[in-house]
Amino acid sequence: MQILHFLSLVFELLISLVVWLLLAPLLPGIVNKVKAWVACRKGPRLFQLYYDLAKLWKRGVVLSDLASPGFIAATAVSWIAILAAALLIPLGPVNSLMSFSGDALLLLYLLALSRFCTSWAALETGSAFEGMGTAREVSFAILTETALITAVLTLALKSSSLTLSLMLTPTPGAGTLLLISGLFAALLAESCRVPVDDPNTHLELTMIHEAMILDHSGPLLAASLHGAAMKLLLFSVLLVKIVLPLGELSGIESTVYLIAGIVLVCIAVGLVESFLARYAFKKVPLFLTTAFLFCFFALLTAWKGFAQ
Amino acid sequence: MTIGLILATAALFHLLGLVCSMRAPRAWLYSNSVANGLLLATSIGVLCTATEWEWKSTFTVASEQVHLRLDGLSSIFLSLLSLIGGLGAIYAWEYWSIQKHPLSAKWGRFFWSLLSLCMALVLTSSNGLHFLISWELFALSAYFLITLQPQKKEVRNAGWLYLAVSHAGSLLLFAFFALLAQKTGCWDLGPMLERTDLSTLFWLALLGFGVKAGIFPLHIWLPSAHANAPSHVSALMSGVAIKMGIYGIVRFSGWLPMPGSAGWIMVVLGIVSAVLGVVFALGQHDLKRLLAYHSVENIGIILLGIGFAMVAIDHGKAAWGAFAMAGALLHIWNHGMFKSLLFLGAGSVLHSTGTRRMSDLGGLWNKMPWTTALFALGSAAIAGLPPLNGFVSEWLIYLGMFSSVIQPSSALLIAIPSIILLALTGALALACFVKVCGVVFLGAPRTPAASHAHECGLWMRIPMLVLAGGCVLIGLAPFLFWKLLISAVASWHGTWELTPMPAALKLLSLSHILLTLAATAGFLLLSRRARQKGIQRRLTWDCGYTGPTPRMQYTAGSFAGTITEWFSWILRIKRHEKLPCGIFPQQAHLDKHTPETVLEKIIEPCAQWILWVSRIIRQFQNGRTHVYILYIILGLIALACMTICWS
Repeated sequence: MQILHFLSLVFELLISLVVWLLLAPLLPGIVNKVKAWVACRKGPRLFQLYYDLAKLWKRGVVLSDLASPGFIAATAVSWIAILAAALLIPLGPVNSLMSFSGDALLLLYLLALSRFCTSWAALETGSAFEGMGTAREVSFAILTETALITAVLTLALKSSSLTLSLMLTPTPGAGTLLLISGLFAALLAESCRVPVDDPNTHLELTMIHEAMILDHSGPLLAASLHGAAMKLLLFSVLLVKIVLPLGELSGIESTVYLIAGIVLVCIAVGLVESFLARYAFKKVPLFLTTAFLFCFFALLTAWKGFAQ
Repeated sequence: MTIGLILATAALFHLLGLVCSMRAPRAWLYSNSVANGLLLATSIGVLCTATEWEWKSTFTVASEQVHLRLDGLSSIFLSLLSLIGGLGAIYAWEYWSIQKHPLSAKWGRFFWSLLSLCMALVLTSSNGLHFLISWELFALSAYFLITLQPQKKEVRNAGWLYLAVSHAGSLLLFAFFALLAQKTGCWDLGPMLERTDLSTLFWLALLGFGVKAGIFPLHIWLPSAHANAPSHVSALMSGVAIKMGIYGIVRFSGWLPMPGSAGWIMVVLGIVSAVLGVVFALGQHDLKRLLAYHSVENIGIILLGIGFAMVAIDHGKAAWGAFAMAGALLHIWNHGMFKSLLFLGAGSVLHSTGTRRMSDLGGLWNKMPWTTALFALGSAAIAGLPPLNGFVSEWLIYLGMFSSVIQPSSALLIAIPSIILLALTGALALACFVKVCGVVFLGAPRTPAASHAHECGLWMRIPMLVLAGGCVLIGLAPFLFWKLLISAVASWHGTWELTPMPAALKLLSLSHILLTLAATAGFLLLSRRARQKGIQRRLTWDCGYTGPTPRMQYTAGSFAGTITEWFSWILRIKRHEKLPCGIFPQQAHLDKHTPETVLEKIIEPCAQWILWVSRIIRQFQNGRTHVYILYIILGLIALACMTICWS
């Protein structure tokens, strides 16, 4: 029995690795398709990021002459940290790699670790633009993280648990609507999307995440782009799992619903990008504070629910 | 009895160190290391076996019997003291070498031994009077260590401020112990939970010990003292000495009955210290002053855990309280380790470049790879990032607080804001340490001093390596330490000794190990791939500009600008600026400076007011004989009136 259990564990790990590593780059493709469709353009191919990653993986690396070996290490750790955070999330029928009380906090702090490492790599180069991007990233992340911990609190209060697999069970009510609004805003900020950041901008002065990876090239750039895509998938899965009662469905059904949900989130991101312009930096804290307030009101409704 | 013997041997070695410190430096180093090694072994032994050692002799000091006690709680602090006390001395061997500082090195050794000995006495003495004597000696020897370089004005000022504030705290402690002795009838200390009339005394203890611990807003002495002391002293002060304040608070919150609101107040104080400590840290330009403010932050986190454990006692929930308390105690160790590591790292920077101003540094990794790597590890640990120790202790505190959310009770009212603000603190600390690492160690050197830096020697490197090893060990295998922590928790609150280790702790440690392995694999994969495909070195991309200079890099001030602006209501940043004007602007500059807001806006005006009042009162004593005769006559008349009226 032990061996069987172990084998099933390995099998589940393999499946989730395949999902997170191989399917993540599809999401930016969907977002871009939606944007192109709204603008009546043909747009890049759905699998464009796969081609980009494959191309970058084959290229050589150009490093800044100020960069230390820590540049590569930080990029790698940042990438792995996002993957590790993702593996903590149960995917429909597939269990998470590890599940324990308090894993939700580990997830948040793994994202923080990833941010620390990305910022480290950015500051390695001594570039003014990368410094600027990093400063913005870590400053805005303060508000995003506050919103995220409030969301975790809400979920913990609702589910009476601090284990992700139990927390991610939806409950009907207005609170959930507030929570997904807050989390969606956090998703836009964390995965560097309009209206917080513009992944397609070409002016260094207006970049956040793109500014931080200006000096990444070749396989390093591939790792950091792939990491960003995984982060988008991670937040989409979280959002879907909060809304849809996947646990009550059979394996295939829940998979289908999960995929449909993720595609919907991507479409929403694409629509936001099409119809909104990037906010001026002065306005971003206001936007993120709103995200926090949404999560906080969700928390209050959850609390009220308990009091009754 | 073996514990007593080992402790006596350790004390003897410390005394031997005191004797040797003046003439025989090498013998001092050996005896200090042996003494601290013995103390470390004893305290870990006490923690492992969950025993308590108590010794009451007939021998008297100041007409009070010597009464010593070493239990789980004091062992936590004693182990930290002996670790940092031993490693700091080794570090000082090169950092504050006899060749460079012939005179002050001598006194540095003497007071180092005295400070270690007195702190050990504070931790073990179980008699109020002896506690006070050791406390006072400890405070004084710390003063002499801070002012090892009295020829510098800022060092003298910092020492003076420390001495004044520390004595204000001592005064409160004198009142506390005297009242305690008066009410109980003896100076002996020990559990007295049944005496509910003593509970109000706790406020005095909280204030008195809070000054030493550096709780916001009582922290005013801390930034300048830690910044201006030699770095090994800063490490000992920040890693251990301020923990003595925490020790006092924990000790007496376990021994005295608590007022009902004590837990809540401590949680609030903790969270205020945590958030404002890190906010002030973000505004600093001096590397060591910044680290000092992070001590305020971490003391806040520790206090939060302790306060929450006290709230849990009120609610009768062992599980929450044990988690929060174990987290707080682990954070005491953790902060001791990573903060000492960071101060020693900062010392190594100061040693090789001669400056603490972050805007004069940069690009040090090239010349100081060891220091950079170790400082980075310490930064990740203090920012609470997995898989290091800072995350484990914060996680335990979170777990305790979340338990009260999961099983809703009225403690939720305080737990929810604390959780949110603790996460905010974590994110702010991350921003702050990204700034420090980036500005000091990465990029290009901003001044010739930074470009001519050199790596520190083995004497300085080994203590840092040991501390970093401790950080990694607690991070990867926290379950090894649960038993130790819980035996300390049990000596704080007896009925909690049976709290089982949370199953999640082992899984957390497993995930930390897996994360480390995966990160290493990822690094090897990427660097191998990069090497296979060839690495070219080129100029940093600066928007197409081909002649970037180090001066164009982001500075510490501009990096933290956004955040410090959000908190300008408390930081009160002073701007000195000359804006460019005209068609061909000649000169322009912008300089932002964060004042010591609490000191300059609150304490100094109060002090001014007291001086003003005293100046008025002083006029009564003006040295003129006829005025004194007038006072005597007035006094006689008053007395006469009194006797006439009352008879």
